[in-house]
Amino acid sequence: MATSRNKNMNAKLVLLGDVGAGKSSLVLRFVKGQFIEFQESTIGAAFFSQTVALNDATVKFEIWDTAGQERYHSLAPMYYRGAAAAIIVYDITNQESFERAKKWVQELQAQGNSNMVMALTGNKADLLDARKVAAEEAQTYAQENGLFFMETSAKTAANVNDVFSEIAKRLPRLQPAQNPSGMVLMDGPAQTPATASCCS
Amino acid sequence: MNRSDSNKQSSSGEQEGAEIVYVKDNVAIHPTQYASERISGRLKLIKQGGSLLMTWIPYKGQSSSARLSEKDKSLYTIRAVPFSDVRSIRRHTPTLGWQYVIVVLSSGLAFPPLYFYNGGVREFLATIKHHAYLVRSADDANVFLVNDFQDPLQRTLSSLELPRAVSVTNTPSSAAAPSESPSSWTDGETFDRNSALAQQNARQRQKNNDPARDLSIQVLEKFSLVTRFARETTSQLFWEAQGDGFIPNDRRKHDKKTHDYPRIAESNNIQKLPEDVPVPEDPLEFDKVSLVWGKPRQPPLGIEEWSAFLDSEGRVTDSEEVRKRIFYGGVEQGLRKEVWPFLLGYHSYDSTYAEREYLVSVKKSEYETIKNQWKSISKEQAKRFTKFRERKGLIEKDVVRTDRSISFYDEDDSPNIKSLRDILLTYSFYNFDLGYCQGMSDLLSPILYVMGDESESFWCFVALMERLGPNFNRDQNGMHSQLFALSKLVELLDIPLHNYFKKNDCLNYFFCFRWVLIQFKREFEFEKTMRLWEVLWTHYKSEHLHLYVCVSILKRYRRKIIGEEMDFDTLLKFINELSGHIDLDAILRDAEALCICAGENGEACIPPGTPPSLPVDDASMYYQQDDDDVL
Repeated sequence: MATSRNKNMNAKLVLLGDVGAGKSSLVLRFVKGQFIEFQESTIGAAFFSQTVALNDATVKFEIWDTAGQERYHSLAPMYYRGAAAAIIVYDITNQESFERAKKWVQELQAQGNSNMVMALTGNKADLLDARKVAAEEAQTYAQENGLFFMETSAKTAANVNDVFSEIAKRLPRLQPAQNPSGMVLMDGPAQTPATASCCS
Repeated sequence: MNRSDSNKQSSSGEQEGAEIVYVKDNVAIHPTQYASERISGRLKLIKQGGSLLMTWIPYKGQSSSARLSEKDKSLYTIRAVPFSDVRSIRRHTPTLGWQYVIVVLSSGLAFPPLYFYNGGVREFLATIKHHAYLVRSADDANVFLVNDFQDPLQRTLSSLELPRAVSVTNTPSSAAAPSESPSSWTDGETFDRNSALAQQNARQRQKNNDPARDLSIQVLEKFSLVTRFARETTSQLFWEAQGDGFIPNDRRKHDKKTHDYPRIAESNNIQKLPEDVPVPEDPLEFDKVSLVWGKPRQPPLGIEEWSAFLDSEGRVTDSEEVRKRIFYGGVEQGLRKEVWPFLLGYHSYDSTYAEREYLVSVKKSEYETIKNQWKSISKEQAKRFTKFRERKGLIEKDVVRTDRSISFYDEDDSPNIKSLRDILLTYSFYNFDLGYCQGMSDLLSPILYVMGDESESFWCFVALMERLGPNFNRDQNGMHSQLFALSKLVELLDIPLHNYFKKNDCLNYFFCFRWVLIQFKREFEFEKTMRLWEVLWTHYKSEHLHLYVCVSILKRYRRKIIGEEMDFDTLLKFINELSGHIDLDAILRDAEALCICAGENGEACIPPGTPPSLPVDDASMYYQQDDDDVL
């Protein structure tokens, strides 16, 4: 759950998605500014933290990166329980990974908390020639389900920090549970995302 | 004082020009709590050139107990240890019983307590003081520091070298003449006063700390453990010192002084501990001196030595001895290809060259048959075979990101990556119920690297999966049973750490999930992983040595875990980041010691059938109905 103290808050965030969609690569890009072409599969789970600075506050993300294989599904609730935010990742070159992402959304909607900020992320956006999932399709799905959507590339860093900044802005602050529709509104006027790390 | 300058009787370690400056008879060690098993001997201080040496030689043929062999006794013999190698001496004066001292080497190792049946501890210390640089510790009047030059770097370096013996300094004792020392006690009176005052202080201190603690009983208990181990393995007995204070239950342990001795020196995560978090003692530590009983690691088994284990027809004559040899040293890289099939159970030890050759050829064609089952699936058929497509896709995603930093796998179109894929896909047909699961490529990669041949690698992998297959069960029961056994072992071997995990809701031990699932594959560099695996596969001390490896790593970092009050998240991050920073040899020695220490109680913590034990009931071990599992 997101906890806040003054203008600095901590927020638990979980990454979910199909095998090889690029969950670990997104985290590695966001936390360390690195990209490894052959990022090893995640065994069990990994934990990272990284702080995002907004104009007047900071959000420290406590990030759980999970194993993608269905076989390890039973472990997932341990990691998304109590999360303030989730990034559901699919691979734009792989239609099955998008179907799998939808299943994760359903599961979180059924079992997660209603205030959870959810982002749908189409990763590997640099591989345009191999695209299988149209951005419009994902955008429509996201709107229908109250998520925000972005296409990212952990390889080129495109939009990676933006996803986290956007989540940071949407996190409910000191006024929890004011959104009966389940939609999370931004508190106050739109702010220019100020990202914590060097690349964006 | 028993100065006997004229006594020139020789003993081991003495040479021409040596002068015996102190000799004391009836100085004993107590290997067990049984009075009949005490070993008496003669303690000497010998001055030779500029150095002072200590020896303790047990008496010959005087043993009152048949249970103590001469071999046992010789284990404890102290042969000419120079004081340049000694860090400190701690004196104990129990209210009941004899005074004894513990000599701690600069390497961190220590000798067992020496009991002075005829008195003489004070003379012993005074004599050392006279010939070497000895100062009383400012922290504890019963601790005497030798060669203490207050050099934090030196101390850190020496603690880094644990448990190998290295000398902190080779400075001869003459470098510090008694007159230069801050408080000279060459004068007997001064010494007596100091010592009386010190004892009073020490009594007061002990009273303040824990009046119930009976040191002498603890010593006896520890030694019964150690002796049992020493007998079983005929290994050397070592103690490892961990701190510089040597006071039990002393909070000073947690203050910044401790940082001179980072126990986790191999980690790059050293941080200062918060000063206010008390860390409970490790119950297996005594007096800040924990036992390192594990036998020193040996060089790996080589081809000549291996050949000697084989009879003329290629049978392994003494498989127990082979497994023991590999347990302590591993196998040379060039020989692994020949030895691993035995360790994995693919070849039996009593097979001949001819039988193995035959088996290999039969198995080769069997492998090709199974491989053809998926090779013969046409594109049209695959379109209608979702499970196959998905399984293949999953394997293909993983093999291209398995050990790519190893030159064996680094080329993008490496035939070895293709072999990884073919073996895994063939295995998923051989064991269709289990299928493919992430982590399997990690287990196969070193096997293919060693075996080279695809069919041989496949069958070795099959043999490994006979034991580790349950790690990948859908209901996670193989993992749960191991993590449960691990929690029981920690409860047995380190109750304060167990209580800490319990309090912090960490008893599911999921932070050890990766360690257990793929046998520490991600925790060590490639070569070290192979070394660890062949040691685990010997099943020499226990089928579940890997769980003792987990316990020994956790114990090694217990102070940091508890001191920094890690919660589950932080703990998982910390454990994951230990990757590449764990000292394998040290951990294996600790694991061996813990395994022996736990004994039958340890085995009782591990339910029957817990992997890698062979399953109790073979039927339907893998097949579990799943709703939406794509495989």
